[in-house]
Amino acid sequence: MKRSGPLFTLLAGLLLALFMLSVNATTGTRSASTGSESPADAVSSSPAPTAAPTATATVTPDKPSPSPSPPLSPGPSRSAVRNGDYAGRTDDDSSAVAVTLRDGKAVAYFCDGRNQESWLKGDVEADGSMRLTGGKDKDQVLTGQLTGKRIRGTVDMGQRKYGFTADKAVKPSGLYRATATVRGAKVDGGWIVLRDGRQVGILKRDGKPTPAPRIDPETGAVTVDGKQLTARPVTP
Amino acid sequence: MTVDPNAATQGFPPHGPVPRRPGAARYLVPALVASAVAVGLGAYGNLHDPEGTAFNLAGFSSTGAVKSWLATVATGFAVVQLVSALMLYGRLPGPSWSGALHRWSGRIAFLVAVPVAVHCLYALGYQTYEPRVLWHSLLGCFFFGAFSAKMLLLRSERLPGWVLPIVGGLVFSALTVIWLTSALWFFRTFGVTT
Repeated sequence: MKRSGPLFTLLAGLLLALFMLSVNATTGTRSASTGSESPADAVSSSPAPTAAPTATATVTPDKPSPSPSPPLSPGPSRSAVRNGDYAGRTDDDSSAVAVTLRDGKAVAYFCDGRNQESWLKGDVEADGSMRLTGGKDKDQVLTGQLTGKRIRGTVDMGQRKYGFTADKAVKPSGLYRATATVRGAKVDGGWIVLRDGRQVGILKRDGKPTPAPRIDPETGAVTVDGKQLTARPVTP
Repeated sequence: MTVDPNAATQGFPPHGPVPRRPGAARYLVPALVASAVAVGLGAYGNLHDPEGTAFNLAGFSSTGAVKSWLATVATGFAVVQLVSALMLYGRLPGPSWSGALHRWSGRIAFLVAVPVAVHCLYALGYQTYEPRVLWHSLLGCFFFGAFSAKMLLLRSERLPGWVLPIVGGLVFSALTVIWLTSALWFFRTFGVTT
C-alpha cells in the first residue's frame, strides 16, 4: 500500500504557493501603477522596458512567475548606466548607504542613524564606476562600482573608511529626504529604507543631528515635532 | 507505550539483499526531488528581481509582522510535530491519536509556512548581505527540499528505522533556525507587534 496523504500535502502546498504568487502578481501590479508618482522605473529614460512587463502582467495576471526581470535586464545599453535605486549596509553593519542613479548622475546618502551622515553627488561612468563627493570641502568621498544588481564600494568619511554593499532597491525601499521649517527651526531629514523594512535616518534641526522618526515608506509621511511632513524619493 | 499502527516504516529490518535494487530508487527519487526543490527555490529567489512589495493581510501593520506571526504558528506546530513524533516512537507516553496529531499538525505547519516562503522569494529574494540573512535564505530553500523528501520517503515502506527521524529532525532543525533568524529577529528589532 502506498500512502498518498503525503503527496496530497505536497500538492496542497504547491497549489497554495501558486495561488499566493498569482495574488501577489495581480495586487503588485496594481500598487505599482497607482503609486507611480516617482518609482524608479517611471523616471527611466527608456519607457519601452517598463511598458512591456506591466502589459504582460495585466494581460496574464494568473501567470505564476511574474518576474519583470527578463524584459528589463537584457537591455544593457553600453552607453549609459541604467537608472536605479540601491540601498544596503556598511560591512561593519554600523551604517546604511543608499545610491540613486539617474541619467548618468548619482546621489548617495551615508547615514549611521545617530549623528553621522553625508550626502554625496557625482557622475557615473559608462562602465558603472562612480566617484561621489560630499561634505563642506568635498572631503567625504564615495567610490563604488555597479555590477549587475549591486554597488560595492567604500565611503571615506574622513576619520574612517567604510566598505559597503548596496543591492538594487525596489519601492518602497530606497532613499528619502524631507526638508521644512517647523516652529522656526530648519528641519532636514534623510532616510534609507532597506529592503527588509528597516529604516536608517537622521533628522537635523538647525544642523543638530538626532535619530529620525520612522516614515511611512508607502506615502513618505512622517511627523516631526507635531507637524506632518512628506519625505520624497531623492533624485540627483 | 503507543505505537502508531500506520508506522509501517519503522522497526522493520531490511529484508536481506533482495530489495536492494528498488531500495536505491527509494532514496534516489526523494533525494533528487529535494535537491530540485531546494535549488529551484534558491535559483528563483536569486534570479528574479525582488518586487519589494506584496499582498498584505488586513489587521497587520506590515508584511514583516504577518510573516513573523505565521512563522511563529508554523514553529509552534513544529514543536507539536517533535512531541508527537516522540510519542509515535514510544519515547513519550501519548494518546492513540498521536499519529493523526502528527500528520495534521505537520500539514498545518507546512501550509502556514508556504505563504511566508512565497512572500520571501517573491518580494525579497535570495539574499546574502549578512550572515543572518544568508543562513535564512539557505535554510529556507533547504527546508522545503527536506520537507519534500520527508513526504516522499513516507510513501516507501520498510525504510531503515533511522531514516525518518533523521530527515524529520533535519526539517525541524531547519525550521527552527529559519524562525530564529527571521521572526525572533523581527520581534526583537521591532517589538512584538501585530
